[in-house]
Amino acid sequence: MTVPTLSEPEATTPDEQSGAPSPERTESVPARILRALLTQRIVLLAVLVVAVVVYFILLGANGYLTANYDFDYMSAALINAVPLALLGFAELIVILSGRGGIDLSVGAIVSLAGMIFGFAYGQWGWPLWLAILITMVVGAALGLVNGILVAYIGFPALIATLATYYAYKSLAVVINNQRPISTRPIQNLYDSTARSVELPLIGSWIPNVPKGIFLFLLPTLVVVWLLLAHTTYGRRAYAIGTNDVAARWSAIGVRPTRAAAYTLSGAISGLVAVVTVGQFASARPDAGVSGNGMALPAITIAVLGGVAITGGIGRVSGIVLATLLIVWMNAGIRLAFEGNAGPQNQLLALGVLLVFAALLNGFALRRYGGAG
Amino acid sequence: MTTASTGDGTAGGSAPLAQDQRSGEAHLERASGTATAEPRTTRLHMSDIAKRFGAVRAIRHADMTVDVGRVLAVVGENGAGKSTLIKILSGAVIADTGTITYEGRQVSIRSTSDAMALGIATVYQEPQLFRELTVTENIFMGREIRKGGRIDWPAQTQKVVDLLALLELPPRYATAVVGDLSIAEQQQVSIAKALAGDANILILDEPSAILTDAEIEVLFRVVRRLTESRVSVIYISHRLDELFRIAHDVLVMRDGRTIGTYPIEELSVRKVVELMVGGILTDTKHERKIDPETQPRLELAGLGRRGEYQDVNVVVRPGEIVGLFGLVGSGVSEIADSIYGIDHADSGQILLDGRSVAPRSPLHAQRLGIGLLPADRKQQGMFSFQSIMFNISVGHLTLLSKLRVWVDRVRERKVAQDMITRLAVKTPSENQPIGAMSGGNAQKVVLARQLVERPDVLVLAEPTQGVDVGAKEEIHRIIHELADAGTAVLVVTSDLPEAIRISDRLQVVRNGTTTVEFGPNATQVDVLAAAAGDVDGQDGRAKGAA
Amino acid sequence: MSVDVAERETPPSGPPETTRRRHRVLAPPVTGQEIVLIGVLAALWAILAFATPAFFTPSSIQPLVASVAPIALIGIGMTVVIITGGIDVSVGAAIAVCSVITAKLILVQAGQSLPVALLVSIVVGGLLGLLNGVLIAYGRVHAIIITFGTANIFLWISLKIFNSSTVNNIPDTLAPLGNGAAGRTLGIPNSFVITVVLAAMAWFYLRHTAGGRHFYAIGGDQLAAQLAGVKVRQRILAAYLLTGLLVGLASTFVVAQGSNLGQNVGNGKELAVIAAVVIGGTSITGGRGSVLGTVLGALLVQTVASGVTQLGWRSELSDLFVGVAIIIAVGADLIRERARSKR
Repeated sequence: MTVPTLSEPEATTPDEQSGAPSPERTESVPARILRALLTQRIVLLAVLVVAVVVYFILLGANGYLTANYDFDYMSAALINAVPLALLGFAELIVILSGRGGIDLSVGAIVSLAGMIFGFAYGQWGWPLWLAILITMVVGAALGLVNGILVAYIGFPALIATLATYYAYKSLAVVINNQRPISTRPIQNLYDSTARSVELPLIGSWIPNVPKGIFLFLLPTLVVVWLLLAHTTYGRRAYAIGTNDVAARWSAIGVRPTRAAAYTLSGAISGLVAVVTVGQFASARPDAGVSGNGMALPAITIAVLGGVAITGGIGRVSGIVLATLLIVWMNAGIRLAFEGNAGPQNQLLALGVLLVFAALLNGFALRRYGGAG
Repeated sequence: MTTASTGDGTAGGSAPLAQDQRSGEAHLERASGTATAEPRTTRLHMSDIAKRFGAVRAIRHADMTVDVGRVLAVVGENGAGKSTLIKILSGAVIADTGTITYEGRQVSIRSTSDAMALGIATVYQEPQLFRELTVTENIFMGREIRKGGRIDWPAQTQKVVDLLALLELPPRYATAVVGDLSIAEQQQVSIAKALAGDANILILDEPSAILTDAEIEVLFRVVRRLTESRVSVIYISHRLDELFRIAHDVLVMRDGRTIGTYPIEELSVRKVVELMVGGILTDTKHERKIDPETQPRLELAGLGRRGEYQDVNVVVRPGEIVGLFGLVGSGVSEIADSIYGIDHADSGQILLDGRSVAPRSPLHAQRLGIGLLPADRKQQGMFSFQSIMFNISVGHLTLLSKLRVWVDRVRERKVAQDMITRLAVKTPSENQPIGAMSGGNAQKVVLARQLVERPDVLVLAEPTQGVDVGAKEEIHRIIHELADAGTAVLVVTSDLPEAIRISDRLQVVRNGTTTVEFGPNATQVDVLAAAAGDVDGQDGRAKGAA
Repeated sequence: MSVDVAERETPPSGPPETTRRRHRVLAPPVTGQEIVLIGVLAALWAILAFATPAFFTPSSIQPLVASVAPIALIGIGMTVVIITGGIDVSVGAAIAVCSVITAKLILVQAGQSLPVALLVSIVVGGLLGLLNGVLIAYGRVHAIIITFGTANIFLWISLKIFNSSTVNNIPDTLAPLGNGAAGRTLGIPNSFVITVVLAAMAWFYLRHTAGGRHFYAIGGDQLAAQLAGVKVRQRILAAYLLTGLLVGLASTFVVAQGSNLGQNVGNGKELAVIAAVVIGGTSITGGRGSVLGTVLGALLVQTVASGVTQLGWRSELSDLFVGVAIIIAVGADLIRERARSKR
């Protein structure tokens, strides 16, 4: 005999439907569009991206902006998309894995791994590819610590990553006595990794694109997408995020899969460390934790991008669209307001968007039995 | 509620009962109490109740009368409608038709708070308690006794001590943290909680399933005390032999109808079983010839796990379907868990083709060639917002991939489509999320997962629970196909007709151990009687062995 | 039958034994985790006193205790929030809002008195907390997401009021709440005394009133609580409202501590508060916890910070120790829970 539910009497029987209404039910076109908007996060995001861009272009055309909101500007703004989207992928993988998965330590890993990169490339003179590799390995190891704490020892992810956030943050500062590393090789990294370039062949028709998009973002995007959508690991990750009891009964190794999620998050954070060092031409000990840190925007991107905080739901395309939305919205706000008001209003927009996205997730879940 | 007398365990009068084992009928000398002496007063009456869920009529027609100070046992097989009827009484479900009168006046119960307001309290199998809080806090949650702004601990503790005494628990339990108590003790706390709310109809749902014999004695004494305080008790149980020690009347349900309410004196275990089963004949069985000399594929020899089951002996030959039938609390589902590596037996052996194995995890079991269809589809089987294809392939990712890493989508899709056809799953495509499907269809998908690679041994736990008749037929067909192809099939079920229909041999599990074995010609009455406690002098002997 | 508040006994294993005819009514007032914390604190202080004689001087203890006050005070609210199974990561930003309003608008620009400043700060904090409470209790969304969002919104509000400049020349109206001589009574900082008094009141409320116990029920099993008649939504709202009010009060302590207020005030404080609560033994999953632990946790964190400075080590190392402390505290808790469920 089951326990009665809260608001409605429980009906658990053979043919009773649970969850989304059957797709064959006829709906009017506006109702279908509304349902698509509310349940298909990709659709909503795409609409919002277009809306935001159009809005700012119009504002610019009417002279409300301090500079031109044109494709060149939008393309240059993409430099911010690189670390943001990358960390968004990291949070995607971790939150997807379920059991309250979250990673508060990504910013601290960026700082600490960044210092390691600074040593390797800026002081010990290692070749670039090796320095990047070792940085990612270090990041993965730091993430593995989280993975072991959460998956094998049973710490709630919030606590474990909070603790490692503190630990890694302090190690990043201590490791080089609070001094950033800005030796010549590091300084030259800006040119090699962050500068905007003209694309071959089609370059004359489209604006210059920051190198980071091609060097870091696109490859990682492809890898993460392939990983989640096409590999056995990806299936296992979705499985443990959806129902880790059923996953166990389906002969899936729940603990290794979950630990691997945090390890991957760490590895990606390591890559972001390289990106950040290149972007600022300096390996700074507080790179990932200054201001509000990098974890909060990354988690915001994930939630906006349709990742369910309870696990099992989330896609790379959502992260990408959410990143574009935030980056281009922030770019527009910067032009729409004088001085410091720009960055400040970006905060407001981010916060309002997040609350709105969360409420929307909740509403869609209740009304339609799921958001995709 | 009046504070009952404390401490005296014999308040209800525990006259010993005599049981004539040979004839299979239980003669009784029950605690006479007040039952037959006083005239009956009806406290609550439900009439013409009907309830359907979608296309399924859970209750076609039911009447129930609950009298003051009497214990009404409600019996019926799974699917007979008794759970639904009780849920209607406790407010968890609203009846489609019918009237309920309480002490003569008509009432409507549309929510659990309505039921509680009428004094109807339910004690579930799963204690709904706050594990971090003390017994006193649990009992008084939401109705604390206050003095000035603060909680009046002495008054609360005193009341709790009184209640505990009724349940034969010492006063120190009042300040015990619930999480530290055993399940049986937690159940007693649940009862205390129900009583603290001035319950005058107490519903006990399979209370003895988790209790030891000694604890059952205590429970019965408590129930007798309650009836003396004019509390009505509704006692739901599959353990029919117990009813003869505690119930005054028995309400039998079958196929969504109340067959009748009978005073216990007119009944015997066999009679109850006959009423429950209604003389339904088993259909023509799929005859299967298994050479008894064949080496068993799966053998459980003296398997035991402390606290759950002991001395379990089962043999399954290739191509054979063996059924394990046990009622709630018999330990039968725990046995299945141990075969699959979810838990581990601590004594005895599991033998696979004569080799002793010890499955450490489901992954290990799968590698050994053992598959299992879990009993609780929603919790243990389904990935609800994922597609059918996902749900099928998730159990065989390395198989359906290239180099163990790259998912072979083409193959995966083909397998899913094949399964959909083979199992007749009603769906527009393999991409439909499983969460929206009916029970029968969803169960087919979860079953399909086990069939991607035909296993050497397949254990099916409650394979057709919550499944409509059509899907049930199809699932049984698949099980037969599997056996014909050489798989050793073990069906663990509490669905009696299913157990009989599908098994070549059927073993009853009772009190954690395997008992009587039946052949293909078993009758429902015999099997249920064996499982419920009336052994009929058949200990260990197979009836109509194949 | 009475509650022996001063009792300090190890937690029961199984039902506790009767002691004569007096029954302990609740779990003991001090849990095992808290005893360990007290022990660790005592040991730490002893070690530090030994290693740096300067440690036990008033000029070192007083600032330490004063720095504990805002963290522990907000921690009271955060403890209640976490007990109900929620969390609030917006308190840092909320501190920024309340303190800038108090410092800039009330003190510098309007030149108001202490009572007015206190009132305004507390009310503003309450409004912020109310927003969180409404969204979480009635919006039915995860607290962490909502409060991440409101953190941004609060930060925006604070930056707008700061208007890109540090607030300077704050009058010392709030000195009685600050670090200086005016802020002490009998050598103990007033802010700390206020904190301890409020913590004691909260402790009492959580242990001895129906409303207090209801928080635990909600964290233990929200559905069962609702069925038992607990007003779940109102309680959840109250938890966040309380936190907001306490943030308002704590912000006055922060403002009182200097004559300048920078734009990054409150930055990261939410993590420090959560760390204090968690180290103090409150379970992040809800249903269990106490404010005494939180106060001890805050003391531990600040002692580590102060000790690190006194010993001449890098101040960032204190973060490392906090991280380790969280692991140890929660790990010990996990082990205890596992041992208990195996019984």
